[in-house]
Amino acid sequence: MESTSKKVTLSSSDGRTFEVEEAVAFQSQTIKHLYEAGCTGDFIPVPNVTGDILSMVLRYCEKHVDSDTAAGKESFYVNKLKGWDALFVKVDQSILFDLILAADFLNIKSLMDLTCKTVASMMKGKTTEEIRGTFNIKNDYTPEAEEMVRRENQWAFE
Amino acid sequence: MGQSVSSAKLTTRRDCNHSQRSFSKSTVLISPMKTEEAEVIDELSDFISDLPDECLACVFQSLTPADRKRCSLVCRRWLRIEGQSRHRLSLNAQSDLHPLIPSIFSRFDAVTKLALKCDRRSVGIGDEALASISERCRNLTRLKLRACRDLTDAGMLAFAKNCRGLKKLSCGSCTFGAKGMNAVLDNCPALEELSVKRLRGIIDGAAAEPIGPGLAAASLKTICLKELYNGQCFGPLIIGARNLRSLKLFRCSGDWDKLFPLIMDQVTSIIEIHMERIQVSDVGLEAISNSLNLEILHLVKTPECTNAGLGAVAEKCKLLRKLHIDGWKANRIGDHGLIAVAKSCSNLQELVLIGVNPTKLSLEMLASNCQNLERLALCGSDTVGDAEICCIALKCIALKKLCIKSCPISDHGMEALASGCPNLVKVKVKKCRGVTPEGADWLRANRGSLSVNLDMGEHLDVTANDVVVQDNGDGIPPVVTGQIGAPGIASSSTARSTSFKLSGLLGGRSFMACTLRRLASSNGSSRS
Repeated sequence: MESTSKKVTLSSSDGRTFEVEEAVAFQSQTIKHLYEAGCTGDFIPVPNVTGDILSMVLRYCEKHVDSDTAAGKESFYVNKLKGWDALFVKVDQSILFDLILAADFLNIKSLMDLTCKTVASMMKGKTTEEIRGTFNIKNDYTPEAEEMVRRENQWAFE
Repeated sequence: MGQSVSSAKLTTRRDCNHSQRSFSKSTVLISPMKTEEAEVIDELSDFISDLPDECLACVFQSLTPADRKRCSLVCRRWLRIEGQSRHRLSLNAQSDLHPLIPSIFSRFDAVTKLALKCDRRSVGIGDEALASISERCRNLTRLKLRACRDLTDAGMLAFAKNCRGLKKLSCGSCTFGAKGMNAVLDNCPALEELSVKRLRGIIDGAAAEPIGPGLAAASLKTICLKELYNGQCFGPLIIGARNLRSLKLFRCSGDWDKLFPLIMDQVTSIIEIHMERIQVSDVGLEAISNSLNLEILHLVKTPECTNAGLGAVAEKCKLLRKLHIDGWKANRIGDHGLIAVAKSCSNLQELVLIGVNPTKLSLEMLASNCQNLERLALCGSDTVGDAEICCIALKCIALKKLCIKSCPISDHGMEALASGCPNLVKVKVKKCRGVTPEGADWLRANRGSLSVNLDMGEHLDVTANDVVVQDNGDGIPPVVTGQIGAPGIASSSTARSTSFKLSGLLGGRSFMACTLRRLASSNGSSRS
């Protein structure tokens, strides 16, 4: 890649700055568009993401910087990266959801898929009550409304 | 790797926004795996509620319908988001569904793919219900109807008028008729795929009402007809489908030889044709040979098709990539037809022969002329023995997958594979009595990267899959089960294969005639 030596500086919501290679930062479509739109001052602000989360996101982007190249698509490499990804998302819920928000804001599709699938895997095969417990969600249904949804659900095939 | 980030050290966005939370959060780890812990920290509000709707929708996207159902019951917000992000819905289409339609479809207001399925014993939804659904899902692109036997032409007309963007219609075991089908074809100009199985309404009356072409004909890319008594009334539609790419006909009665010349005269874009148990002969194949873009041909249990017909197709359709033939042991397609394929179809990538008896003659030509042949399956071929496997091993350079089922091959064949076909990835051997587990193990040991799958089929139970062997036992005595794995089986099976080769070459005629007679009598009802 010709742009490997070029660097951009990102600044998190709590004022920390990160200098990374363009190819790493540009996995975020948001940053790429900001950059292309001429936002090329001293640094690109990332107002919605804290330094800790941004550093994790950038670590992810560094790992995935080659995944689109031919070498990156070889099965050995892909499997290794999958293993790394699995460890990457082994974090507390608070961090996981912050990663989703960051991936959403920064528009990094693969990170969005990875984190959303991780959350989905926490729901799979669980009863409604278990899902509420897992995510600590309050049931705000009235008994009648809940019964109505239950009845409707019976009509849907699985 | 430094991946294990301790939550206590991390400052997250939430810590800045809700500092009152940070204490409890950093002391109690929220682990999704341990629900008891989650209960302990009841005073915490849920983190997942901070996600915007579209992120939560993205989470739901990778869940099964069953999981989504349970999610919809978690809380009112989840119900709303799950409903709005559901594009694919499958409903039990019993008549009692009708009163719930308004509430169900205001909950799932973004559905574009809908399946309505009823079972045989229940009363299905009627015309009014379908009309009511179509009013609420005007953006529907796909509709699947199964056994909705209470729908009539009127319901289909109402539906078609409301869902003009329909791209795919699949109906099975329904009872509406030609008028209903025509209503869809006239009102849905974007229709690309039509699949009809057992549509009972079109058999009424001696002079069946023609179906099509309608507005949809020009946009149709795929037409699939299955088990129709009067499938030929779709003739005008097929003839009018100028941009048709794929035509699939399964067990539809009537003489298709008459229709194919008319179809092929008008429709030149076809790249895929499947025919299974329909009345078609070389006349039909001759017509089909005019679709010069043909890439995929399945000729399954059409015993009137012979080498001459296949040869005609091969000669003109040089782009052929995939060829499946189930010769039904009629022996009317064999070496001659396959040699014609080998001579002109150098693009062939996939060849499946079931109940066909090719010998070394044609396999050798296929192997050396079709340099792109990657997948080969030979099933129930009495002539495919070790000599044929050796030939394949030696000459099929590009071959990646090989499947042999119920053929008289032995461990010698396995040995040949060990040193041949440099690109081979997978070998499946099923119900070949001459191949022993040791032979398969030996092949595995000698080619580490090769996946070898041996299915002995020891119990030899009569299943639907065994049609090739069981259904049309053509005078070949079934091999005694006890022979499996017996020493010397290899040589005996080789001997058997040679003798059949001889009978294929010399005594084939009477053998074929008797098989055909039997086929004709067993199949007479549908073809008369």
